[in-house]
Amino acid sequence: MSEGNTNSDSSVNDLDFLRMDWHKFLKARRSGGGFKLLENYKNDTPGDYDFPVTHVLWIQGAQCTGCSESLLDAANPELLKAFEILNIDLERHEAFLAHQGLFVDGEPANTSELNSEILLDEISERGNYILMVEGAIANGPEGSGKYFMSGNRSSKEMFKKAARNADLIIAVGTCAAYGGINSANSDIVDILDYRGVAFTKKDPSKGILKVLGIDKPVINIPGCPPHPDWIIFTLSAIISGNIRIPDDLPEVLDEFGRPKVFFPPDYNVHKDCPRKEFFKNKEFDTCVGGEKCLLKIGCQACLAHADCTLRKWNDGHSYCVQAGSPCIACVEPDFPDNARPLYSSKKCKTGKEADR
Amino acid sequence: MVRVTVDPLTRVVGPLRLDTEVDENGIIKEARSSNMIFRGFERIYRGQDPRDSILLSQRICGVCPVAHSISAVNALDELFGVAQSVPKDALVARNINQGLNTISNHLLHFYILWGPDLANPAYGDVLFTFGDLGGSVWKELLGRFAPISYKIGGEVIPPGSSYVGVIPMKKRLHDAGAVIGGKMPHQTVMYPGGVTNNPTTSDIQTLSSIMSEVIDFLNTNAIRMPFEDWVENTYKASSPKKAVDFLIEHLNDLIENSLQTNDLSRSNGCGDIELYSAFGSELIGERSLGLPISFKHDKMGGYSDLSKVSFLSYGGFYNVDQEGYDPTSPSGDRFQTSGFMTSSLEFHKFDSNKVTESVKHAFYDDYDGYKHPYEGTTEPFTDPDRINYQNFSEEKYTWAKAPRYDGIPCEVGPLSRLLIMKEPLVTGLVQMFRENGYSPFNCFTRMIARMQELFIITNEMIKWITTDLDPNGKFRVDIDMSTSSDSRGMGLCEAPRGALGHWLITDSDSKVANYQIVTPSTWNLSPRDSEGVPGPLEQALVGCRISAVDNWLGVDFSNPTGILHVGRSYDPCITCAVHTIDLTGKNSPGTFRLL
Repeated sequence: MSEGNTNSDSSVNDLDFLRMDWHKFLKARRSGGGFKLLENYKNDTPGDYDFPVTHVLWIQGAQCTGCSESLLDAANPELLKAFEILNIDLERHEAFLAHQGLFVDGEPANTSELNSEILLDEISERGNYILMVEGAIANGPEGSGKYFMSGNRSSKEMFKKAARNADLIIAVGTCAAYGGINSANSDIVDILDYRGVAFTKKDPSKGILKVLGIDKPVINIPGCPPHPDWIIFTLSAIISGNIRIPDDLPEVLDEFGRPKVFFPPDYNVHKDCPRKEFFKNKEFDTCVGGEKCLLKIGCQACLAHADCTLRKWNDGHSYCVQAGSPCIACVEPDFPDNARPLYSSKKCKTGKEADR
Repeated sequence: MVRVTVDPLTRVVGPLRLDTEVDENGIIKEARSSNMIFRGFERIYRGQDPRDSILLSQRICGVCPVAHSISAVNALDELFGVAQSVPKDALVARNINQGLNTISNHLLHFYILWGPDLANPAYGDVLFTFGDLGGSVWKELLGRFAPISYKIGGEVIPPGSSYVGVIPMKKRLHDAGAVIGGKMPHQTVMYPGGVTNNPTTSDIQTLSSIMSEVIDFLNTNAIRMPFEDWVENTYKASSPKKAVDFLIEHLNDLIENSLQTNDLSRSNGCGDIELYSAFGSELIGERSLGLPISFKHDKMGGYSDLSKVSFLSYGGFYNVDQEGYDPTSPSGDRFQTSGFMTSSLEFHKFDSNKVTESVKHAFYDDYDGYKHPYEGTTEPFTDPDRINYQNFSEEKYTWAKAPRYDGIPCEVGPLSRLLIMKEPLVTGLVQMFRENGYSPFNCFTRMIARMQELFIITNEMIKWITTDLDPNGKFRVDIDMSTSSDSRGMGLCEAPRGALGHWLITDSDSKVANYQIVTPSTWNLSPRDSEGVPGPLEQALVGCRISAVDNWLGVDFSNPTGILHVGRSYDPCITCAVHTIDLTGKNSPGTFRLL
């Protein structure tokens, strides 16, 4: 594969970015460069975008389809254009394709053209695919996985089938990466026992892969939901061959399996906050609707390792803090417990003082 | 009897199992709807700040997150005693957020979740027996509604123009959602007393321009006539009959023109909704327009015993002519009024005390009969051996409870809302089907109602954005945290899929003692209740012919398009329809008992 564009401080070659130093990447972001990444690549290196087909198998566990919805919001370029450029063959997806589980007298019926479960079996037997997982995998109750059933199997069995022959697993969203909202603290969290793919919360010994005794390279793209750029640009770096799987992963991922270029270890949502001057001057809002720093009404931006402030959401239109709402650090492995109570200063959790 | 099971029914949100027994003539005799996921969602609120539900409850559903944040914030408005004083402009902003999400949801449903079933090869097989016209119809279905990665008989089918075309439109609606709501999915701006942001003049311009794109999209793809003309002659028609007459006359002109050349293309005037309206229904297509063939969607998904089902709406969108609103009994002057309607179209005022639930057929410990959401208990099975659903003999077969209104199963969603607000076109269609001996609440009317709602909400959105939203207005009143102890709040709203309610109780420390959510899909996909009466979807499946066009080419058990259409016509959301909380007393924390 071609090396593509040469990097400069003001333009970013997407196909290289996953390996590039994230300081440089963010610097380019700040100067407004490199937003139409895939299109640049196509224009500048004609002929080099004839990638061989990449098969993608998508499965949904306990989730809300928000990650898939977010993927539909891809902007630079739009989703189907990105699939075309990268030659991605989305073979199975529970929300977008023709398939469903079909059984006659309990036996799988029809063919893989219409039956999602036969299709799953065929793809997983064949191999040669990237598995993208949306949602947490049920392990409860009592290790049965029966809190989530689909196609006459538990999500745990479905995941096992799909993971076994995958070349790579991408955990899309905080639920798939770390359990997310399904693993939020409650009196029944241990009974539910939802698991992320390679982690549950911060614990790599509790990922569902460990439970099943499967060892696979995993990339986590957390966020509730994740930004579509994070998903598509990660795929582009893999498909272009700039990231070799699994050899390069230790270099490009952080300790929680996230691409450092989007989730930089020593950068956070607070660093480029438009309200930062207020923070420096210790001017804090104490109720919603103001223009000052939101720290005292729960903002977790300084603990959120992500580039939302620079990238912004929905084609650059806005993001949480811009809309006057505290950052809830939804990209972190212990979301949502890390951010609760969401609207109170975390430094003085006790009493109602914090709320006033 | 043949057992035909669709598991999972995809292109819905979350895992849904539809299990049926079908006779040798291909007619469904018995049906069960099983919600196959237990997420333990509402329990994460307990002992926590009630305001957390604004952001966290959106994580129940990434397709309709705004409705969950509005229901949550409505419950909080009542809890903090500010519902009557939420400023007008904040109500407008909330309406715009919800409107954008509903439009986006309905487009997603018609084009990506529902549409691909029209490109099912079974339709090709039937249509090929109808010569050139059949061939033209099939060409349009495939050319518009084929999903991505689609193959028929090994041949790769390129994705349809409508399917492909809606994705950028949906993206733009989420862009607009970010402009007014911070980001999408999972927006951030709802807050008791109002909203957290102050929309600017430039925001209003962006929103107006995206709404113009919506209208362009509808004019280009959905209906090939000016948006205003459609709204004027259907939604604003002087009587239901006039609205239906207009539709049929319009289709008649269109079809007459198209049949001369067998050209049913969009450029020849046949928009997606026009094509579906003409060919979707036997009564309209064959009996009114004289077409030789239709999909007969008006003969599936109806209710065989009309005494066992009714229609419910909590009332959609705030009335923005005044400040504040009544949280306990949504008033009749909302854009979409609340109400309860019997299947003979008798209207009754909505009374939230009549909402109850039964757990007899769900994987929870039994209680006697029915309980109001404030009083119910939920004790989930934790022994895996007790979670079985494969056999029809199992008494319990789903994680969804059975909600009832005054003891009756209710359909919720666009069809119910439009009937209850007496929208002329949908009311007229229902009357016409009834007068002609069809079950009036069928797949076809359900789909047309959703599409018509797309138009009427778009129409109302333009008013909210260009006339009502004042960037210099007031967008919040302050809340007093000390008022939230030992209190309760009920948050009702209309999600894209139907009536959504959040019920919340706090303890003396202002923390959540109990939180209960009853979602639209719990209503529609309800299992049997304590009396054994099936839920709306279960009833709608019974009597349905499972293969395409009323089993036109015989019965194909392995391609049950009837089940797919009827199931998806409700726009199901399974991850919403899960119950987890136990409420053992009005003001005391519940006790969770392990089995």
